[in-house]
This record gives sequence, C-alpha cells and structure tokens, in this order.
Amino acid sequence: MFGKRFGLLSAELFLMRMRVSTWVLLGIWGTLGFFFSYVLPYFSYRGATGPEAPGAGTDLAALLPESMVETMIGGFPFYGGAIVLILGVLTIGSEFGWGTLKTLFTQRPGRGQIFAAKMGALAIMLVPFVLIIFSIGAVSSVTIALIEDATIVWPSVQELIEAWLAGWLILAVWAAAGVLLAVITRGTSLAIGIGIIYSLVIEGLVSAFANQIELLEPIVKGFLRANAYSLVRPLGGADEAAGDGPGLFTGPFVSGTQALVVLVVYLVVFLGVSVWLLRHRDVA
Amino acid sequence: MNDQLVIETKGLTKRYGDITAVDHLDLEVRRGEVFGFLGPNGAGKTTTLRMLLGLITASGGAAAVLGAAPGSVESLANTGAMIETPAFYPHLSGRSNLWVLARYAGAPESRIETVLGQVDLAGRGDDPFQTYSLGMKQRLGVAAALLKDPALLILDEPTNGLDPAGMAEMRALIRQLGHGDRTVLLSSHLMNEVEQICDRVGVIANGRMVAEGTVNQLRGDDALLVRADRLEDGQRIVAGMAGVRRVDAGNGVLRIVTEPDTRLDPAYVNQRLVSEGIGVSELRMEQASLESAFLSLTSPDHHTQNENGELATRKEVAHVR
Repeated sequence: MFGKRFGLLSAELFLMRMRVSTWVLLGIWGTLGFFFSYVLPYFSYRGATGPEAPGAGTDLAALLPESMVETMIGGFPFYGGAIVLILGVLTIGSEFGWGTLKTLFTQRPGRGQIFAAKMGALAIMLVPFVLIIFSIGAVSSVTIALIEDATIVWPSVQELIEAWLAGWLILAVWAAAGVLLAVITRGTSLAIGIGIIYSLVIEGLVSAFANQIELLEPIVKGFLRANAYSLVRPLGGADEAAGDGPGLFTGPFVSGTQALVVLVVYLVVFLGVSVWLLRHRDVA
Repeated sequence: MNDQLVIETKGLTKRYGDITAVDHLDLEVRRGEVFGFLGPNGAGKTTTLRMLLGLITASGGAAAVLGAAPGSVESLANTGAMIETPAFYPHLSGRSNLWVLARYAGAPESRIETVLGQVDLAGRGDDPFQTYSLGMKQRLGVAAALLKDPALLILDEPTNGLDPAGMAEMRALIRQLGHGDRTVLLSSHLMNEVEQICDRVGVIANGRMVAEGTVNQLRGDDALLVRADRLEDGQRIVAGMAGVRRVDAGNGVLRIVTEPDTRLDPAYVNQRLVSEGIGVSELRMEQASLESAFLSLTSPDHHTQNENGELATRKEVAHVR
C-alpha cells in the first residue's frame, strides 16, 4: 500500500519538478525578495546623505544576518502568498486545461488518492520554496555584512525553525486557496485572476480601511492576510507602527494562537471542499 | 451479471438539464470480442464511454464494467482507455508521460518499452509530446491504454485525424489487440472501420441504441432488383427458383434475395420472366452496405427488415443477433 502511494507521490513530484512554471515562480519570488528586501534598502541606506535625505530611515541592522528572519518572513503573507497561490492553481488547473485529469482518472487509483498525491507533492515542493527564500536572505545579508564590515550574528536555530514552519503554513494555505479556485473554475486563467484580485486587491484594500472603519475590523481579522501577518508578527515580520507601502500590514492583528488555528482551518476547508468537488463532479 | 459480459448497461441515462444525451441505453459487450459502438457525431457515444469509465455519473439506469461499478478501482484496474483526443503532459516526452501513468496504473516500468514498441513509437519516445503529429499522439494514447495490459480496452475514435496509412496501421493494431481474451470496445462513426475491425456492432442514435448485432446482420443482404410488369406473377415465378430466399414486390420492382453463398444469374431470371410473357425493363444488383443500414437506422423514422422481410424496430433487430 505504501509503495503504491509513494509511486503516486513520486509521479507527482516528478510532474512538479518538470513544470517550468514552478521554477519561474520561485525565481520571481527570489528576485523580488532579493531586490525589495536587500538591494533597494541597501542602496537607500548608502544613498542617505543626511538625517532628512531619502533613505535616511533605513537601518543597516535590518539588512544584516541577525535580522534575516524578520526581513524575509514579511514577504510570505504578501507576495509569497500570491505566488504560491498561482503555484496551487497550476498544480491542478493545468490538468483541466491539458485534459490530463481524465487520463489520470481512468488509471487505477480513486480520485481522492490522486488528489492526495498532488497535494502531498505540492506540500513537499513548498519546503524548498521556504528554504531557498531564506537562503537568498542569508547570502544577501552576509554579503552586506561583509561589505559593511559588520559582525555576522545568525538568528537562533529555534527562531529559524519557527520562521520556516510559519512560512510553510502560510504558503500551504495560499496554495490550497489556489487549488480550490482551480477546482471550482476547472482551469487556470480565471482562477489566477480571481486569486490575485482577492489576495492583493480585496484583502489589501479592505485591510487598509480596517483601522479607520470599525465595522471592517472583525471581517479583516478573518482574512488570510491578517492571520498570516499575525502569525509572523512575533518573528518581527509585521509591525503595527510600520509606515504605508504595498507590502506593509499595520493591523488589525490577532493573537499568534488564533492565527495558527484560523490558518489551519482555512487549509482544511480549502482542501476538503476541493476534494469533495473533485470526487463528485463530472470530468468533461 | 453474466460472466461472459464484460460490459452491461440497463437503462443507462445521462441528462444535462433538459437535454438527454444518453437515453435508457441497454448495452452488452461480450468477453473477447471487438465491439463497434457506431453512431453519428453527437449520438451519445463518448458520453456513454465516459459513464463506463466513471468520468461522469449516470442520471439513471445501471452499469457494470468487468463486474464492478464504473470508475471503481476494481473495474479501472483492468481497463485501458483512450477517450476523445489523447491527453498528456505537453512538456514531457512520450516515455516520461508513460512513466507517470505507469506509476498511477501500478504497471511495471518494463511495460513502457513494450507498449511503445507495440504502437511503433519507441524511436520517438524521448521527444516532447507537444512535438508529436496527431497520428503519433493517437498511438501514444493507445500505448497508454495498453500499459496495464488490460482485459478491456475502450477506444474512442482512435483513427480520428489519421492519414489513410495511419488508419490502416491503427486498425490492424486494434484487430491484433482484440485477439484472445481481451475485449475491445471501439467507438467510431466510420463504417468501413467498423466493418473491418468489429465482431459485433451496436448503433446509437440520439442517445438510444437502435440496433445491435454482427456486421452481416446489420448490413442485410445483397439483392437483385427487377423492374417488371405483372409483379404478382413475377414474384410467384421467381420464388420458385432454386436458391431464392425471399422476393418482395413493390413500386414496380421485384427485390430478390438469395440464400447465403448462392448466386442467381440475372440473365436466367430475365429469360424465365420473359418466357412467361412478363415484360422486364431493368435488372440491377443492389449491394447491401453497413452505411445504408446505418443511415437508415439513424434517420429519425428508421426501420429495417428482419430475416422474414418484415419491418423491424430497434428491439426486434437487437434480437436478431
């Protein structure tokens, strides 16, 4: 039994590995993280000529290895989530587009097993996503430390592991959201469109008004974005006092435990509804 | 369920809103035969096959495939299928696509080379699927269907888009695959394909099975047509000739059907009729064809003749087999 299941999982991992879009998405995120978390802030820091000059607020400490976790984890609830949402959509939406779902469904395993194999592969693939993004942070921060002749102090192992786990969970929830959208729309284009609009526009705009309109606050506290930022807040990945910016979230926050529970519930619901639909709907 | 029936449906129905795509379909496919599922475009062939594979659920009726529910692990374990156009991962090679499917099918990897060889694709197995011609895609589809070395092979219009040489190769392959215990259910709208390949044929039109039998049973008999006067006298004279099985008269024409393997010389018929004072103005052979039978069966007011020369409905024809 285990052998057969591993057979499906290895097939799905192979498919995911061979899909160019997987590596393109990772490349985009890595590039975004590199430029927006290190290159631009560093040039901003170097370019500041006085206390009032642009970039004067940039703190060198935020660019050094000791701050790597808080610098990198902040991107997970924002563009990291949007990118893996696309990965989730492609994982199953492409199968609708290519018609390969019907090919798989006429093999031996049941639909639930096929879905489980796909989700297993997706979950495993998110591990290198997390590790590579943090590796980019590590290399970038060490490079800056060497250039600035600063002391290299690494975050603690516990902090790193917490960050990796939190990052993985956030990515898993967003990827599951992509999977659900792909299953509902039976394709990729509409699913990606809806997903991006929801994650960046709807959640983003409503969240932006939540601190001004009291009525919105309980709604925003149920959002993926709010819970993801709340989860990484203890790691320094979100700050109520942060200024404005497309990638900044200033609240409302919930407790870390509540965020963890809400995200897990989201994950279970997204995957549960997806597998139910996949098992009960006709495959054209 | 009868052990000899690999596929059995009773009253199988599929509705999409107000549209009934498959309407109370009764189908029986026997072990070891190549069964042709013949019907015009939109008749409900592919919808039926999808139901048999569990890709879509039936709105009504019952079906069993290899003694199990359609789409169940038990039935799929011994069923290979290619439905409509072959669907594979475009960026992967043919061989890699088969590797993925072998993992899903629980088939040994050694089967990959075997089936690639069977469909003559071994030389192009490492090329990406997206670079394949339509014929190669169809052959890879058949190869994938064969991975499990299945007891039942379901092929939906496998010669679609192939050139004449490709069609001939594919038909020879299907004929060869249908040897022995393996059962093949072949969906097609091509008469000559079905005539060449199939042991038995079911004809579907507007979602209903309108006829089922061997190719010869559905095709009917060749006949000698004689345009003559005094038809009743002529019918009596011809009916007394050796080897004549049936003589129908109507519209100024005698339609003469002989016993199998018996040939009636038109010159002799002409001579006998003329010698009895019956004027004959035309004699010609009417070649029976599956195509004419098919067109007749699938027309809205279809009818055909049974062995006794009577008009027969769908059910009666089904009983002919």
